[in-house]
Amino acid sequence: MELFFMTLTTGIMVGGIYALVALGWVLIFKCSGVLNLAMGELTLIGAYVTLSFYSMGVPFVLSILCTLIIGIVLGILIERIFLDKLIGEPILAVIMVTVGLSFFLKGLVGFIWGTDTRVFEPAIFSLKPFTIGFLKISIVYFWSFVLAIVLFLVFVAFFKYTRWGLSMQATADDETAALSLGVSARFVYAASWAIAFMAAGVGGALLGNINGVNISIGYLGLLVLPAVVLGGLNSVPGAIVGGLTIGILQNFAGTYLDGFFPGGVKEIFPFAFMAVFLLFKPYGLWGWIKIERM
Amino acid sequence: MSRVWLPCGDYHQRYTEDQGWWQTNVIKGKMIFLLLIVFVVFPLILDEYWIGVANMVGYTALGALGVQLLIGYAGLITLGHAAFIAVGAYTSTLLILKFPWPEFILNLGLAYPISILVAAIVAGLWSVLFGLPSARVKGFYLILTTMAAQFITVDFILTQYVSKIGGRGQAFSLPPGTIKIGPWAMETDLQVYFVMITLLTLTIIMMANLLRSRVGRAWIAIRDNDIAAETLGINIIWYKLLNFFVAGFIGGIAGAFWVCNCAALSPEHFPWFLSLWLVGVILIGGAGIDGAIFGSIFMVVIMELLQMASIPLGEHYPRILFDFAFIKEMAFGLAICAFLIYEPRGLSYRWWQIKNYFNLWPFSY
Repeated sequence: MELFFMTLTTGIMVGGIYALVALGWVLIFKCSGVLNLAMGELTLIGAYVTLSFYSMGVPFVLSILCTLIIGIVLGILIERIFLDKLIGEPILAVIMVTVGLSFFLKGLVGFIWGTDTRVFEPAIFSLKPFTIGFLKISIVYFWSFVLAIVLFLVFVAFFKYTRWGLSMQATADDETAALSLGVSARFVYAASWAIAFMAAGVGGALLGNINGVNISIGYLGLLVLPAVVLGGLNSVPGAIVGGLTIGILQNFAGTYLDGFFPGGVKEIFPFAFMAVFLLFKPYGLWGWIKIERM
Repeated sequence: MSRVWLPCGDYHQRYTEDQGWWQTNVIKGKMIFLLLIVFVVFPLILDEYWIGVANMVGYTALGALGVQLLIGYAGLITLGHAAFIAVGAYTSTLLILKFPWPEFILNLGLAYPISILVAAIVAGLWSVLFGLPSARVKGFYLILTTMAAQFITVDFILTQYVSKIGGRGQAFSLPPGTIKIGPWAMETDLQVYFVMITLLTLTIIMMANLLRSRVGRAWIAIRDNDIAAETLGINIIWYKLLNFFVAGFIGGIAGAFWVCNCAALSPEHFPWFLSLWLVGVILIGGAGIDGAIFGSIFMVVIMELLQMASIPLGEHYPRILFDFAFIKEMAFGLAICAFLIYEPRGLSYRWWQIKNYFNLWPFSY
C-alpha cells in the first residue's frame, strides 16, 4: 500500500512537469494549427540555457527568468523564420518542418554543449526527502511540482485577464472573426511560440534538476504527445489531465509491470497506451470531434 | 504528375496505351540503357568506396519506396517505417542463424533468398497490425500510432527480447560466409551491390505495376479524397491495410538486404532517426517512384560529400571531426526545412520539367 501511494505521488509530481510542457504544445496547436514535434528540443534548450546561467553563478530563480527571456526571443525567431511561411500548407509539410527543426536544434545543442550528462552544481535542492505521514517526497520533485503549478496558474491568468491572452483565445476560437476585430494573427502565432518555448524551457530545467541534464531530456517532448492525445489536442484542461495521467501511468507501469516485462516498460508504456487509446477514443477526452463531409 | 508528356507528334490511339509500361520506343530504349548502366557500367567503373556509397543509396531507396507508397500514394503519413525494416532484418537474421534448414537448401545457397521473402511477409503483417488504427483515425493521429509502432517494436520488443535470443549480448554477429546466394558468399561490396540492384529493380517493377492497376488507382483515390473514394465503392479499410502490407513488405526487403551489408545486426541500426530520415528523403525527392530514388541519391551523396569536406576542414578545426554526427543532424534538419519552404515539390518536379522541355521542344506550347 505504501508503495502504491509512493508511486502515485511521484507520478503526480512528474506529471506536473509533463502537464506544463503539454500546455505549451496545446497552445501552439490551438493558436496556429501547427502540430509540433520539436517540443523535446525546446525543453532541451531550456535545460541547457538554465544550466549555463546557473554554472556562471547566477541564482537559480534568476537563471530561470533569463531562460524565459531567451525562450521568448528564440520562439519568435523560429516562428518568423520557419513556420510563418507554412500557414495553410498540408499537415505533412508543417509536421516535417518541425521535425527538421528538431534535428537542427538537437544538432546545435550537441555541438555547443556536448553529450556528457551535467548536473546543477552546487545542487539547488537538498537530496534529503521530507515526510508527510508515511509518504516520503523528494524535495526536488516537490518544488518542481510547485513551480510547474505556479507557472501553469500564471499562464491561465494570462489567458483569462490580459488583452494579449484574450486575443490569443479569440484567434484559437475563430481566426477570421478575430482578424476582423483587429487582432494580429501573426502576433498571436509568435506569442504562442514564445509562450510554448517558455513553458518547455522551464519544464526542461526542472527535469534537469531531477535526472541531470543530457540529450535524453528531449524524450520529454515525445512523452507530451500521449498526454495531449489523451486530453484532446485542443483542450487546455485536457493537457493538464493528460500530463498528470501519463506521469501516473508511467510510474505505475515502472513499479508494477516491470516484473512481468523486464526492461524499458516505463519508457514504452505511454506509447502503447496511446496506440490502444486511439483505437477507442481518437479525439481524446475533450478534443473537438471533426465531422467530415464531401 | 509523374506521367511524362509525350514528344510532339506522338499520341495514343487506345486506352491501353495510356497505361502502357513503356510509352514510346525512346522511353523503352532509355530504360534499357539505364539498366545497362546500373548493372554493367557502374560495377566496372566505380571503385570500392563508391560501390559502398551506392549500396547505402540502394538501402535508403528501398526504405524510401515503402514510405513513398504510404505517404505519396495513399496519404497515410508514417513516422515509424524503420520498425518494419527492423522486423525484416531480424526475421531474416533469425532465419539464417537459427532455423534448421535442410541440407540441400543450404548447399544450394537458397537460405538467404528464402529468408528475404519470409522477412518481407512478416514485416508486411507486422505493418498491418499497426495500420489497423488507420481504419478509424487519420492525419496526425495516424502519425502517433506509427510512432508508437517504432518505439514498441524497436526500443522494446527487439532491444529487450529478440536481441537477447542466444544470450550473446545486444548484437547478432553474422560471420563472413553465413549469407550465401547460390554458390556466392556475400563478402565484397561488389557482390552486395548486385544483390541491392537486383532487389531494387524487382521492387520498382512490382511497385510500378501495382500502381498502374486497380489497386494503385484505388490508393490514389483514397489519398485525394477518402470520403469520395468510399462513395465510389472502394473498400477503403481493405485498401489502406493492403497499402500498409505492401509498404511493410518493401520495408522487409530493405531490412533483409541490410543484413547482407553488415557484419553484425543490432537495434541501434533502426532508430527513430531512420524513420524520419526516410520521410525526409521522399520530401526532398518529391512525388513518384523516381522521387524516392532521387531523394536517396541526393541525401546519401550530400552526406558523403559533407563527410569528405569535413576531413580537410578538420585539420584546422578538429572539433568538426569529433562532432560530425551533430553537423550531419543539423544539415539534415536544415535541408528538410529549406526544401519544404522553398522547393515543396521536390527534385522529381525539376526533373519532370527538364524532361518535358526536351520532349516538347521546339513547340513547347
